[in-house]
Formats: sequence, structure tokens, C-alpha cells
Amino acid sequence: MNRSAVLSNTLMLTLLLGTTDSLAGALGTLLMFATVVGLYGLCMPALRPRLTENSVLLASILLAATFSSCADLLAQRWFLPWQQTFGLYVGLIALQCVVLENNGFWRQSQAERFKLFGLFGGLMLGLAGLRELVGHGSLGRGLFEHWPGLVVFSEGLHLITLIPGAFILLALLLAARQAMIRPNSISKETHRP
Amino acid sequence: MNRTASAFIVLLLAVIGIAATFFVQRINAPQIAAEQRLIESRKLLDLLPLDAYDNQPLEHPMALADTTLSHSTLTGGYRATERGQTVAILLRSQTQGYAGAIELLIAIDANGKLLGVKTLKQTETPGLGGHLGDWPNTWLQTFTGTSSKEPTDAGWALKKDQGQFDQVAGATITSRAVISAIHDALRYFDEHRAALLGSET
Repeated sequence: MNRSAVLSNTLMLTLLLGTTDSLAGALGTLLMFATVVGLYGLCMPALRPRLTENSVLLASILLAATFSSCADLLAQRWFLPWQQTFGLYVGLIALQCVVLENNGFWRQSQAERFKLFGLFGGLMLGLAGLRELVGHGSLGRGLFEHWPGLVVFSEGLHLITLIPGAFILLALLLAARQAMIRPNSISKETHRP
Repeated sequence: MNRTASAFIVLLLAVIGIAATFFVQRINAPQIAAEQRLIESRKLLDLLPLDAYDNQPLEHPMALADTTLSHSTLTGGYRATERGQTVAILLRSQTQGYAGAIELLIAIDANGKLLGVKTLKQTETPGLGGHLGDWPNTWLQTFTGTSSKEPTDAGWALKKDQGQFDQVAGATITSRAVISAIHDALRYFDEHRAALLGSET
């Protein structure tokens, strides 16, 4: 993967960190993401063979913009509280479609695509659950009307609900993963010549 | 690959995209506006329990007479009813705090008892008087259940002024202004009780 692809993939971080301060927010974003990317994935294969290379980019922008703005309007109708908090990120979902188009996501096999999406969804929900639990002391707050969520403890660590806290938590998770994957790979340095 | 065909497809996509977005917006606009109104009114009215009233208080503002009170000004009034019975009167009150105007929404039940107070607008010092803007607000909750006669006129003041209420730490002027505004509103309710409760009772 070249450098610009790595850079454009990090755009995903904005979505991941910005919308995971509660389980309800992350679920809404994931639903939105799955809908827009799913529709995009259905329509684009039919168009791709009929387009020149330059117009593929233009078509993908148009398609992503259409789907995400329609999804945004429907979210305003049915999930207005969610839309008022996270509406900003819907534009980034459209951007994500274009990024996926360019970094070859749609050239992978279906199984691989679902695996990637599953991993992302799992990470998002896991991070959201952790952040809500540590930050607010509850789980699933605001998922249903009149349900206060599963209250584990009353006061949470406020920092974790903010974006810097999300960064710290993500870094800790990454560090834990590294430690688990290769506990013995770093060989002890020796001073023998 | 044909360049013209490809350009035509892009053009078609643009037209379809714009049309689809336009129609989705047109179809959903009334429902979205209704949802927005509902959220706005809930935000304003969350000092009343949701099931306590069944009308849309904000859509029928009351005309108030003599709105200039001794320490504050009333800028609006709403009536919350359930099955035609008035359950609460909401008075929007404006008073002068330490740093600027404070706007409060004061809910009074039909017997003249205070149901709740909510700060709508304030520019007090952050960290001191600014705590007035927090919601839910424990200090404002201490007034719940009071009325214009209970405590007595002398009691309607800070402990510092030989009254019976605590103050917000470090914000004497803000606290005084809020207490006077609440007392004003309760007195106003007693004086204009018949007009406020209306013909439904």
C-alpha cells in the first residue's frame, strides 16, 4: 500500500473516534454507514465498465453524495436526536465511499470486504461500549426511549467521552493488541560481539 | 470505451442524484419540521414531566398584563393543560444578573406552588454564577415546592440576607437576582391567578 493510500485510510479515524462516545451513537453511525456503502456497492459495479477512468471518480462522488444526503434526510425524519449530534459525519461517509473506490476495496473478493466491514463494525462498537462504560458509567443509554441504560456506576471518567480520551483509549487498545500478538518476538539484546 | 457515452452517464447520474435528493427532501420536510418542533419544545419543557400535559404549550402563548415586576420582567407565558385542566403555568422571566441578563423559565402549578425553574439564557461568570446554566440543577431544585407565602417574604432571600436559601458559591449577585425573580413570578401568579388559569378551570 503506498503512502497516500495509508493517509486516506486514516480518514476513517474521524468517523471511528468522533461518533463513538456512546453505543447508541455508534450504532446509528454504523447503520448509516452500512446503508450508504451497501447501496453504493450495489450501484457502482453496474456503472464501472461503462465509464472512462476519469468519469469513474466523478460518478462515485455523485453517487456517494446522493445516497448520503438522502440518508441524512431520512435520519432527520426518524432519528433527529442522533442527526443533530452526528449529522456532521454523514458527509464523511460519502467521502469514505470515494476513498474505498480509490484504494481498491471493491476489487477485493466479497468475503474479504465483509471481513473488513465486520472488523470495523466490531472495533467501532467495542470502542463505543468501552467509552460509554468508562466515561458515563452506563451502557446503552439512549438506545430506547424511557430506558436509562444499564447503569454500572454513577460517575464516569469524563475525559474518555471527549475526542482526546478516545485517542488515548484507542492507543491503549492497540498497545494491548500488540502485546498479545507478539509477546516473545522481541528477543533480549545481548552485548556479545 | 466511449468518452461521450461515459460523459452522458455522469450527466444522467447528476440529474438523477439532484432529483432524488430534491424529492426526498420535499416529501420529508413537514415531518422533519414537526420532529424539530417536538425536540425544541421538549428541551424547553423538560422541567415538567412528559406525561403531565397533553397540549402544545409553546404554540399558544398567553397575553400577560403588567409584566414589569419589582425585580424582573415577564417576557412570556404558556399554559400546560391536561384534558382541558390547567396543570401548570410557565412564565418566562428576565432579570439582571451579575454579568448580564438572565432568562428563566418558571413553572408554577395551579395551586401556586413552584414546579421547577430552568435557565434559558445566562452570561454569568463561568465556574461561578455560570453553574446556573447547568441542567439538571440542584440549586434551582431547592426552590421546588415553594410558593409566594411559603416561606414568608423575609424568608425569600439568601441566608446571608437573613433569608432561608443557600446561594451559588461565589455568585451572590446572581443568586439574589434569581431568588427575586422566582419570588416575583410566584407573587405575579397569586395576583393574576384567575387570568392565568383561564376559563378552562
